[in-house]
Amino acid sequence: MSSESPRRPGELAFNAALLIFSLWLLWQAFSISGFSGLSTPGVFPMLASGVMVISLLAVLGKVVKRPAAHDGARAFLQKVTPSRHVVMLGLVLAYVALMPLLGFLVASGLFLFASIAFLWRRSLLVTAGISLLALGLIYLVFRVAFQVVLPRGELMQWVF
Amino acid sequence: MEFIGYLLLSWLDPSLLLLTAAGTLAGIYVGAIPGLSVTMAASILISFTFKWEVNEALALISGVFIGGVYGGSRTAILLNIPGAPSAIATAIEGYPMAKRGEAGTAIGLTTVMSVIGGFVGILALAFFAPMISKIAIMFTSRDYLLLGMIGILLVGTLSGESFAKGAFAGALGVLIGMVGLDPMTAEGRFTFGTITLMGGIPYVVAMIGFFGVAEAFVQLHKLDLPVVKQKVDRIIPKLSDVKRYFWLAMRASGIGTIIGALPGTGGDIAALLAYDDAKRATKKPEVPFGEGAKEGLIAPEAANNSAVGGAFIPMLTLGIPGDAVTAVIIGALYIHGLKPGPLMIAETPHLFWFIVGNLTLANIFLLIFGLTGIKVFTKIVECPKAILIPLIIILSSVGAYAIQNNPVDIYWMLLFGVIGYFLKTYGFQVGPIILGVILGPMMDANYRRAMIGARGDIGTFLWDFLSNPISLILLTAFLLMLISQTPLWRIVKQWRREPSS
Repeated sequence: MSSESPRRPGELAFNAALLIFSLWLLWQAFSISGFSGLSTPGVFPMLASGVMVISLLAVLGKVVKRPAAHDGARAFLQKVTPSRHVVMLGLVLAYVALMPLLGFLVASGLFLFASIAFLWRRSLLVTAGISLLALGLIYLVFRVAFQVVLPRGELMQWVF
Repeated sequence: MEFIGYLLLSWLDPSLLLLTAAGTLAGIYVGAIPGLSVTMAASILISFTFKWEVNEALALISGVFIGGVYGGSRTAILLNIPGAPSAIATAIEGYPMAKRGEAGTAIGLTTVMSVIGGFVGILALAFFAPMISKIAIMFTSRDYLLLGMIGILLVGTLSGESFAKGAFAGALGVLIGMVGLDPMTAEGRFTFGTITLMGGIPYVVAMIGFFGVAEAFVQLHKLDLPVVKQKVDRIIPKLSDVKRYFWLAMRASGIGTIIGALPGTGGDIAALLAYDDAKRATKKPEVPFGEGAKEGLIAPEAANNSAVGGAFIPMLTLGIPGDAVTAVIIGALYIHGLKPGPLMIAETPHLFWFIVGNLTLANIFLLIFGLTGIKVFTKIVECPKAILIPLIIILSSVGAYAIQNNPVDIYWMLLFGVIGYFLKTYGFQVGPIILGVILGPMMDANYRRAMIGARGDIGTFLWDFLSNPISLILLTAFLLMLISQTPLWRIVKQWRREPSS
């Protein structure tokens, strides 16, 4: 027990944030029907959020005892949210935002190209080839074989 | 003998036959490619197939399930990377065999033993499920409440770092399942006055977020793992080997089926327990354990495939999913308007026998695909993660969108994905969340039914748990499991004797 590993960077803050969130949920659960009866719609949500609060207190109790992460804030940026993750999240957000405008096919094609180019770093021609191939396969499997309705774009009604 | 017709439905209908085959083949790859999981594939497939006939959707998904549980073993043997958690033990013995140049033997033996295990599980399903559902009719609301709690408790304790984290995840899932209008009183819960939230959060979207997007972000850390190539020779195993290890496989399958059938435990745990059991039972292995013992390869693989049939037992008879994958499959059944439970076998026998027949068929395809196509396989599995991760995100987005053709669902999926990434980073498991989402509304309804049955009197309510034999057994089981996870247990153990480990 003496040689406990230090906290993961950001662990304390994350668990504390979860605790605040759970307490807020408990309050929300209480405001559904309060203590007006034992078979009201609010009882089970209160029990569940109560379990969340208690278990988080137990988790936090252990986390606090462990030594702090070395160089917390910087380690958090390096290990938990490194630039690779931030850029990917940005690409995903752009993809999701552009999909209603450009439609599924165009947006997915752009996203595939950009993210493979970013993650893989090969020649752009190879990346473009792979993106097109993957897109073609997805289209065949889902639109043609599974008959899934894919989101269409406002700007490009003429493309699918 | 009507059921034989249902049993053979997917064997005789060409399109169902094809879907089962395609599902099994796809499942082998999904299970094998590190970064793709059966749960991920099943949750994305639900949304793609929900407009299909229920039989077609089930044929594809159960194929993926059977193939996926097996597929993890291949990368475990060839690359020392378990494609799925249930193949961790396989990697311990399989990879040393591959390094000795016996990769083909290892894959062949694994395939045959997985198939044997699969059949044991399916037989148990066909035989025990009708019996259990007859008993389950006697279960009351109280018992379902307890079963739900046991399920979440087991998933919470066995996966992840600590019991408290598992309990948190399970409770979070229960709350996600509560969002929307209360089905009994039509009061809004956690809707914040918005109409979007009144319909609830679609659980398939939560599943895709937690298992697809979150996993993709976790995988971003492991982008540059080196790939080691292996030579694969003869795959078809020697008959003498199969005969020799047959009883070991049967024993492991027995363990796998039982573990699979317990609510909340699935193939991962079954494989580890069977490996441990084989290690203890084998007095003189040809090769020591840890250095490529065939016994240690066979036991976990037979066990995790037999757990598939086992996991269907509580799902179909009680409506309680055995693990995350069956929780997703139960979601698929809900979407098709089916309510798995004690009456399902009596009311829709065709569905039950169809599932049994279909799993059998998928298992046969597993034998065929497992012993062929290894050359293509080694090429595809080397697919770099840099291509795989963007693909997972695209498939997840289409999957989330396809359920209701609503772009808002993609945002939900993304939100769950990001939360899931942080939860995973800090040692919380997402499996219990999904189980909570599926079981939460069921537990809530049963709790309130039981409470109304006790006329709102807490004394009567509690006494009912003690006075009814089924409830009492389940309550004892629940309390024992709960206490074994709390500090109280350690104190009791210490008091009795000094802990050995």
